[in-house]
Amino acid sequence: MYIVGNTALYAGLLMAAYGLAANFIGIKKNSARWLESARGAVLALVLLTSVASFLLFYLLGTGQFQYQYVASYTSENLPLIYKLTAFWAGNAGSLLLWLLLLCIFTGMVVFSKEKHNRMMPYVSIVLLLNILFFFIVITATSNPFEMTDTIPADGKGLNPMLQHPGMILHPVTLYLGYVGFAVPFAFAIAALILKRMDAEWIKLTRRWTLTAWLFLTLGNMIGGWWAYMELGWGGYWAWDPVENASFMPWLTATAFLHSVMIQERKGMLKIWNIVLVIVTYLLTIFGTFLVRSGILTSVHAFNDGTLGNYFLIFMVAMLLISIYVFITRYPLIRKETNPIESYFSKESSFLLNNLILVAGAFAVFWGTMYPLFSEALTGVKVNVGPPYFTKVMAPIMFALIVLMAVCPLIAWQKAKVKRFIKTGQWPFLAGLAAAAALVAAGVEGPFAIIGLGAAVFMFAVHVQEFMFGIRARRKVTKESMFSAAWKLMRKNQRRYGGYIVHIGVAVIAVGVIASHAYSDEMLTTLEKGETARIGDFALTFKGLSERMENGNGIVAADMDISYKGKSAGTVRPEKIFYSTWPEPSSEVAIKTVASQDLYVVLSTWENEDKATFQLKVNPFVSWIWIGGFIMVFGIIVALLGGKTRKLAAVSAVNPEFVKAGVSK
Amino acid sequence: MSKNAVLFSICLVLFLPIFPFWPSAAAAEYDYNSNEFKEVISQLDMQGHANDDLAGCPVKQLYYEEVLEMLNDGMTGEEIIAYYVDQYGQAALKEPGLDAGGILAWVLPAAGLLAGGAVIWLWLKKRKGKRKAAIVQEVKWESETEKEIAFKIFDEERRKHF
Repeated sequence: MYIVGNTALYAGLLMAAYGLAANFIGIKKNSARWLESARGAVLALVLLTSVASFLLFYLLGTGQFQYQYVASYTSENLPLIYKLTAFWAGNAGSLLLWLLLLCIFTGMVVFSKEKHNRMMPYVSIVLLLNILFFFIVITATSNPFEMTDTIPADGKGLNPMLQHPGMILHPVTLYLGYVGFAVPFAFAIAALILKRMDAEWIKLTRRWTLTAWLFLTLGNMIGGWWAYMELGWGGYWAWDPVENASFMPWLTATAFLHSVMIQERKGMLKIWNIVLVIVTYLLTIFGTFLVRSGILTSVHAFNDGTLGNYFLIFMVAMLLISIYVFITRYPLIRKETNPIESYFSKESSFLLNNLILVAGAFAVFWGTMYPLFSEALTGVKVNVGPPYFTKVMAPIMFALIVLMAVCPLIAWQKAKVKRFIKTGQWPFLAGLAAAAALVAAGVEGPFAIIGLGAAVFMFAVHVQEFMFGIRARRKVTKESMFSAAWKLMRKNQRRYGGYIVHIGVAVIAVGVIASHAYSDEMLTTLEKGETARIGDFALTFKGLSERMENGNGIVAADMDISYKGKSAGTVRPEKIFYSTWPEPSSEVAIKTVASQDLYVVLSTWENEDKATFQLKVNPFVSWIWIGGFIMVFGIIVALLGGKTRKLAAVSAVNPEFVKAGVSK
Repeated sequence: MSKNAVLFSICLVLFLPIFPFWPSAAAAEYDYNSNEFKEVISQLDMQGHANDDLAGCPVKQLYYEEVLEMLNDGMTGEEIIAYYVDQYGQAALKEPGLDAGGILAWVLPAAGLLAGGAVIWLWLKKRKGKRKAAIVQEVKWESETEKEIAFKIFDEERRKHF
């Protein structure tokens, strides 16, 4: 096993280097054989990383504690699913997962129907550079197949916080997102090298970008849900450096997804789109650097100083390569042909949207890195925590919500103010009515009310857009409502998929604003039979019980719940004492009634009949998860629609490349 | 019986020392559920332990205990915050202050947004200005094919030059 694992890794390292060389030679000599050989190298890389990955799964699943990685992250009594997910619990395994995904993506790209595209050898080179880097890092610093000096009787076990269903999905979805952005980056660099500044590379990578964005969205949502369920502090986003590291590329990728529409439609923003793709890619590497360097304190960090240096060097190298290629092609891409007809147009609103998203990404970056800058420049140590991000990001996000409400109402090229007011008046009144209703109901907090009103405005605009579309279809086709709605969606999947995503964002906005502004918490000690009240909930403590499960001691508190005087069932918060972990872990109990989460943590106890609890009421948190589902559904709708249009052959055909099997 | 007894004994040893600080034990004016207490504690970084589970974090427990004691001794929220800033500097808090060490943290995102807005404004202005020039220089093509071919040639020429 040891030999197989290490052979796969070292052979992969050589194969990546060979693939790079074969591509270079193939391009230099216009040789089909060399390019074909480079493709073969990529296929070999997929096989080698698959072998290494399956082997690691096998070692983890069967508890081969003679391997350091297995002994460090699993134990005998760990359930099988967590033994397997321990694959990405540590540095070495998570890097192997990244590498596996990168190789699979590269294989999908170079063997796609566009494999003879003239850009492909360059795309392959960029992706192989990434692959080579990961092989170097894994073999030099984080080999998952390293052996222990003596075989331990049992492993150290998995951190209890990682023993949660979130562990199955969160890292994988996040990595699928991170790795996915390498593909549009590779195409952008290839397009720059070949001086092909039309929108071809954007059209070829639209689905890759959207898929990567889908997974990054999913990864962030699942991460928030996991934190909420597991960490016991009652929140879902702590503005932790590593969380921020995944939020930044999400913001810039969102900006890119919007600005590419302008390049596709108007042939503008070529420079900007390339910058956004490069920045998004670099931010994914930066995120990995943050997780692994330990330069900032985070609950998510792997904290390996030497590994951070490798990522820093790679990030700087890729930045310099990007800058060099960009600057040398700048005179070509700066040519803009289409003028703007009016300041008040969809083009302008998209620019504003990009400004806000990028400003958001910059604010998050600045806040994340500020403790380091401050200490280095002024010698003053400061923290930049959630209150800072809430204050800085709240106005930015508010502006984004308003813009998302306004943007669909504005026409391309030149919008008319009169028409804009006419189409926007009802949604605006809906937002206003919602805010007025909240005030009338005695809800306090002017900023939260304004934010909620804006979210309703945005939601209403998109519902109205659907209604307008359906009405227009029915006018012409006389279809039924359902049929018109279905066909409207089917024929404009990109547009209406995007609108569904926006609706999801509106729902999430309600959840975030309400849970921030109107949550309540208390710490209370209860004796058996005593009742605590928080918000509209009442909890009656029925006593503690204990049991053993998988070798772990579990203490549970039984509590009856009532909501507004009516029984709402029971909750059972637990404290788990792991046999392989020094600190106990809290298992939070959550009861959702009428969009309000009652969040119960068993803190401590004196005896079986007296315990202390942390209680929280978080309104509308469930809306965040529902909004997340809506977003994902919308992305899938957009992803499945909008076939890449037949690309115009804009460049001259190189006969040598045709001979070499490269048609464009 | 023996396993249960051991488990409960462990828990008692682990958690008993913090019981005097739980709300039921606090007979004074403020407790952990007082708004004044929550307001102060929400600002403290607690040496990076602010988001830890209170029951399992001795550092957080110590901060809770200290803040409650100070409030019950008659100190105001501002005085307590000032006390911690004196002790640990601005790092005692979750957010930077408005002094020399922290002002840049607050100003730069806004400055970035304004600068970005200015760039977009100038770009739009330039693009809009080009509209007039574009109208003047507009070429009339005989057919779409002629236009397509001409653009292809322009594109090839551009590639040659750059």
